[in-house]
Amino acid sequence: MAKKLVFIFLIILGCSKEEKTTAHIEASAPFKVVDANVSGLDFSNQLKPDGNLNIIEYLYYYNGGGVAIGDINNDGLEDIYLTANQQADKLFLNLGDLKFKDITVESGISQDSTWSTGVTMADVNKDGLLDIYVSKVGNYKGLHAKNELYINQGNNTFKDEAENYGLDFSGFSTQASFFDYDNDGDLDMYLMNHSVHSTHSYGNIRIRQTSDALSGDVLYENKQEGEHIKFVDVTNGAGIYNSPLGYGLALSTSDVNNDGYIDIYVGNDFHENDYLYINNGDKTFTESSAEYFNHTSRFTMGVDIADINNDQGLDIFTLDMMPYKADVFLKSGGEDSDKIDQIKASFGFEQQYARNHFHLNQGNHFADVALLTQTHATDWSWSPLILDYNNDGLKDIYITNGIYKRPNDLDYINYLSTVDFAKYKESEADEIEYKLINTMPMLSLPNVLFTNRSELNFEKTPVDANNLATYSNGAAYGDLDNDGDLDIVVNNLNEKATLLENTTTNNNYLTVDLNTENLGINTNGAKVYLYANGKTYLNEQITVRGFMSSSSNKVHFGLGEVSKIDSISVVWNDGTKTVKTNIEKNRILSIKKEITSKFEFVKSTKSNFETFNYSHEENNFLDYEREGLIPEKLSIEGPSVVQADFNGDDLEDLFIGGARDQEPSLYFQDTQGNFNLQSNSYLENDKIYEDVDATAFDIDNDGDLDIYALSGGNDFPEGDPMLEDRVYINDGKGNFIKLNSKLLATNGGSVSSADFNKDGYPDLFIGNRSIPGAYGLTPFSFILKNTGNNNFEIVSKARMGMITDSKWADLENDGQTELVLVGDWMPIRIYTYNLEGNFEDKTKAIGLDKTNGMWNVVHVTDLNNDGKLDILAGNTGLNFKWKASIDKPVKMYLDDFDNNETLDQLIFYDYFGTYVPFASKDKVMQQIPMLKKNFTTYAAFANVQDVLDLVDKKEILETKYIYELRNMVYFNKGNAFEQRALPNEAQFSTIEDFYVDGKEIFYTGNTNSYVSELGRSTSNSGGALKYSENDNFNSVRTLNLPKHFSGRKILKLKDGKFLVIGNNDKSYIVN
Amino acid sequence: MKILKSKYYLIIAIVGLTSCSKPNPIEVSPELFHKSVDKVMDIQIHDIFSPPVASRIFAYPNIAAYEILAQKSSKLQTLVGTINELKPIPKVDSTQQVNLELSALIAHMEVSKKLIFSEEKMEVLQDSLYKVWEQVNEDEFNVSKAYAFDVVEHIKQYMDADNYNQTRTMPKFTVDIDDQTRWQPTPPSYMDGIEPHWNKIRPFLLDSAQQFKPEPHPEFSLKEGTLFHKELMEVYDVSKAITKDGDESEEIAIARFWDCNPFVSVTRGHFMFATKKISPGAHWIGIAKIASRKTNANVEETVNTYTKTSLAIADAFISCWDEKYRSNLVRPETLINQTLDPDWLPILQTPPFPEYTSGHSVVSGAASVVLTGLFGDNFYFDDDTEIPYGLPVRSFNSFYDASAEAALSRLYGGIHYRAAIDNGLKQGKDLGHFVANKLSL
Repeated sequence: MAKKLVFIFLIILGCSKEEKTTAHIEASAPFKVVDANVSGLDFSNQLKPDGNLNIIEYLYYYNGGGVAIGDINNDGLEDIYLTANQQADKLFLNLGDLKFKDITVESGISQDSTWSTGVTMADVNKDGLLDIYVSKVGNYKGLHAKNELYINQGNNTFKDEAENYGLDFSGFSTQASFFDYDNDGDLDMYLMNHSVHSTHSYGNIRIRQTSDALSGDVLYENKQEGEHIKFVDVTNGAGIYNSPLGYGLALSTSDVNNDGYIDIYVGNDFHENDYLYINNGDKTFTESSAEYFNHTSRFTMGVDIADINNDQGLDIFTLDMMPYKADVFLKSGGEDSDKIDQIKASFGFEQQYARNHFHLNQGNHFADVALLTQTHATDWSWSPLILDYNNDGLKDIYITNGIYKRPNDLDYINYLSTVDFAKYKESEADEIEYKLINTMPMLSLPNVLFTNRSELNFEKTPVDANNLATYSNGAAYGDLDNDGDLDIVVNNLNEKATLLENTTTNNNYLTVDLNTENLGINTNGAKVYLYANGKTYLNEQITVRGFMSSSSNKVHFGLGEVSKIDSISVVWNDGTKTVKTNIEKNRILSIKKEITSKFEFVKSTKSNFETFNYSHEENNFLDYEREGLIPEKLSIEGPSVVQADFNGDDLEDLFIGGARDQEPSLYFQDTQGNFNLQSNSYLENDKIYEDVDATAFDIDNDGDLDIYALSGGNDFPEGDPMLEDRVYINDGKGNFIKLNSKLLATNGGSVSSADFNKDGYPDLFIGNRSIPGAYGLTPFSFILKNTGNNNFEIVSKARMGMITDSKWADLENDGQTELVLVGDWMPIRIYTYNLEGNFEDKTKAIGLDKTNGMWNVVHVTDLNNDGKLDILAGNTGLNFKWKASIDKPVKMYLDDFDNNETLDQLIFYDYFGTYVPFASKDKVMQQIPMLKKNFTTYAAFANVQDVLDLVDKKEILETKYIYELRNMVYFNKGNAFEQRALPNEAQFSTIEDFYVDGKEIFYTGNTNSYVSELGRSTSNSGGALKYSENDNFNSVRTLNLPKHFSGRKILKLKDGKFLVIGNNDKSYIVN
Repeated sequence: MKILKSKYYLIIAIVGLTSCSKPNPIEVSPELFHKSVDKVMDIQIHDIFSPPVASRIFAYPNIAAYEILAQKSSKLQTLVGTINELKPIPKVDSTQQVNLELSALIAHMEVSKKLIFSEEKMEVLQDSLYKVWEQVNEDEFNVSKAYAFDVVEHIKQYMDADNYNQTRTMPKFTVDIDDQTRWQPTPPSYMDGIEPHWNKIRPFLLDSAQQFKPEPHPEFSLKEGTLFHKELMEVYDVSKAITKDGDESEEIAIARFWDCNPFVSVTRGHFMFATKKISPGAHWIGIAKIASRKTNANVEETVNTYTKTSLAIADAFISCWDEKYRSNLVRPETLINQTLDPDWLPILQTPPFPEYTSGHSVVSGAASVVLTGLFGDNFYFDDDTEIPYGLPVRSFNSFYDASAEAALSRLYGGIHYRAAIDNGLKQGKDLGHFVANKLSL
């Protein structure tokens, strides 16, 4: 198709502008760029696109090259190998003092200009000398090459023996990793290749089962016969996919589940899932990404695996391409639409988002916390390196980025679409292609460094004061000048490779060398535990990290102010352990493999829950198909759950209201603690309602508990019988009869009862969530006085908010009850019942008026035992794309901007310092087509920062704000509330319910209700916090609920276990 | 195209030469109407309007021009009373020297501008013409323009009331992925079903969108021996057979010639972009132009042809779209990929809306009846409409021949079953006869 382009258009458009970004100068990391003229590390990966080979002909033309760091001559100095795509690779010998000598020619490294990609150093033949494996792109568009295995001959010379070793693969290789997959002591190899096909369709995932000799990945087993080492393709039967569906760009091999067998992480570009091959220990793997991750990066380009938060669980960090500059973000292709999301899921693909992922190891699964740590957007990123650069004991993350030509620029894509292919002559192909490429936008960016400030706080730190903007791809680290800190080498496109000298001096360190004393023994994959100051630090000796690169095989620990190292234990792959004590810090420590003891691998804890016999099943209604600009679905609420003694046997029973098309269920508890489902024809007849909340109260003051069931849903208009609430009257034995009465028919949010006027009859609050079809507008909510005889009188009818939860409680300790309300786009609202018999809004008086959040739940309880009731409230949590504060709230403008009798919601939020519209240009234009005339380009839309930039309307019907997205506690200090955010562990996702058990707060959450642009909130597997002195909380346990589980209610049962009831899912009993 | 351009410059040159003496009346040639229609077509391609929306864009400017001319014409009957809800346009002030042909052309361009997004592209044409006209006869130009704007305002109100704006934010079409019989988004871009509410647009001549409801499609079944299954297999077998014959086969040539898909997605690595073409409606507007030129139609006749053809096409889309989202039938590509051959690709890209009936068949049927009414049967023409899109000329002995081929092209293209083509063509022709009758052709 590209062969048919006309170039008149191109001339008009001219050449592309190159954007250079330099951030303002601030305190930078202690890295110094060492000039190539000084260091001698003179290398540049220069590309020369031509008609045969360019970004249009080869989709990975600008993926760049890799770096390998390792000591090839055992002189104690780390040497460097850099790969080039269209020139010869280079090998540099470290002469000390950061001086390098190009020994490529004399070393015997090939001088051809075949297309090298990844490079890996490993002692493949166990002769004590590091060998070098170079991956290549062969057999494609005039490229011919085989992967090369340079066997180290000593004396700094190498010989390509790939063919002898059976590793002379020729295809589309990205990177290889040598690791011992069967723990037999030798190095096997995983070769990651990439597909080069354009895809017509997402296709069927059955393609995964097919085989492709050029682009499918290959697992090689090292089979030594006497002196002769032969690598044999064992892909078949090992559980490894070898298909053309894999666009493998990211590779690392690490024992992520800590069972003593090395697992494989393969990050795939495009729609194919990333693969996590869990090693079964019997020479087979099980691809387990769906079991371990709630979602993964979509365009995965690089990966590193290390224990980032010092909890001895290996975490996984993967890179994607989400821009952090607001204007670039707005004019680049972003997340899939919800529809495409659904289609991909129906094909069998797992959930993926086009942003970096920070998979925190949770034992038996991972929780992505990239949004919480704000490490999710580093633009088009290639190489993540997890290393403690400042030796403070906390591992940081260095990320290379930049794309030489940016094909996902939406204006460029639009431009391509206006090129008239038909007018383009075959003979002009090359010229036109060249011009097309020239028109493609460029964007070079400074690489990114996240400094770990502990407890999952990361700070974006400039790498150097000049903040060099580059197109950087592969990168590797090592202590190149043996001064105790890690230096970095980056392979850049069309620019000199960067050597970053680390000048950290003020902290302690220890470098562990597992090689020097163990020549001829494979130490890859060994885990090194360092114990000091009551803390445990873990590093794995793995080298393949980042992108197309391999880092030093020495194991580096930053130690901060640690004065004494207590001990070090090295756990070798074979399950043996070497322990060392009396260790001096600030030096290189060589450890010989001497078996001190046998190590017992602690298998990941299996889940400690059992299934409860209730499943909630949502009907499938897609709110955003009706309301294109809304951020969340309002139709997946519930189930409503009430725990109360209905049949008068002093045992707490359960009422669970279902989703639409699912009847409410009534369970009686027996003395054994079993819950027995009761049959009730009234409930069975009421399956048409979507139950969103319910409350048990004695409506008729006859001594038993009746039920008010609140119906809801965004799928029917207000007043529709499908939205009508119900009351079920109890005969005292738990036989419920439906009350024949006309009740409210609204999209309910919360119902709660209390006898606020103390007349013996419990009164009601009925809070509504929304006006169906008009997200954002505030519906009426009602306070109803029970006047006896099952009659109610409206005391208050007001627009109180988009209510999700309510509690009655005496916050003021004056004997009068207050009403506490939470919901979307509203503060924690307090109404107090005054002497005149009215409800008065005290929110502002009490200082809670700037607490607007996306609240899901509120609990009122005395947490600090000071006799005053505190407020505990569940929100979206911090692991969320939107960020909000009082200074920079999320804003929602509500109006019918195009006068077509449909409400339009224009939402703006702060995106790394600049306000951006939440809805993409395409979405906004679909909802308000008249704007197409004003925004003919994405570049124009990229400057929109405010509603007035979009629409010419000064008086807007309504504006709503969100100031707070954290899960919070508000401590009651008498006249005012003191706010405190729950710890980061309780901010991984939404909190939907709490159970306060003495000093412990149990919580559950997650939701799939957000549109794909925000993404699912699924990183909360439930947990418990403990109140400690001074109104602080510590995270004490995780409930390890299944990944994806959206817990809506957590209750304590009489045996002390907890029952957690999920939305559109099973329910679980947790020990 | 080149010939056209030189003719047009020639007119300007002549006008320019004579303009120094006493002001002459401004002459408006039929070519200028063709020019305006061509411009609308170009902009439609640039702005990517879906086929139904494109059909609406053609109709209203023609109505404006037609009504202006009809005031003083012996041949053109006003459409007021014939097309739904149209009220009489403001009367021209006979005391002023209004050049009705000039007003008609100005109104055509101005109404078009309101319907498209890239206004500046239309302004380029307008500016060049306005400059010349101002020089030739400023007074005549000004009064004619003023009158044109009165009519434009009138037509704007008329078109604003056709429910188009309301349908913009009606719910998207909800896809039921679990129901195999129902339409699902198709590769490669899996676009949403376009214009699910097009049957709520006010038709021009039909009494309702379902007036020409076709007979139901064969009952969905994947059992061998059923009619539906036979038709599914026919799509698959025909496609395989003609693919084997290669790119030079007549069937592939026919499929490509009538593709008329305004938005074909192309995926290359990180790129996903579109190649653009005219819509089926635009193709038939192009044929109307060819016939007008061939018969040396004057301005009145030209406007008459464009107007009546575009009204038939617009109503054909409303009728067809009504059926599409009633029957919601799955496309052959989806079923073939699911049940027969996961790698099968239709020769044409499957457009993003349900299968039954074939839009091209309905539209071609309707347009061919109206054009036959205007120009007679057995009207031979060389169809060069697709030349700008790299396709050759095809010649036809009659409009009916062309519509029959256009309909069948959907089978060759692998995007429709036989029933959608046969029943669609019938639906279109029935509708065409109704329209022709109402418009007294």
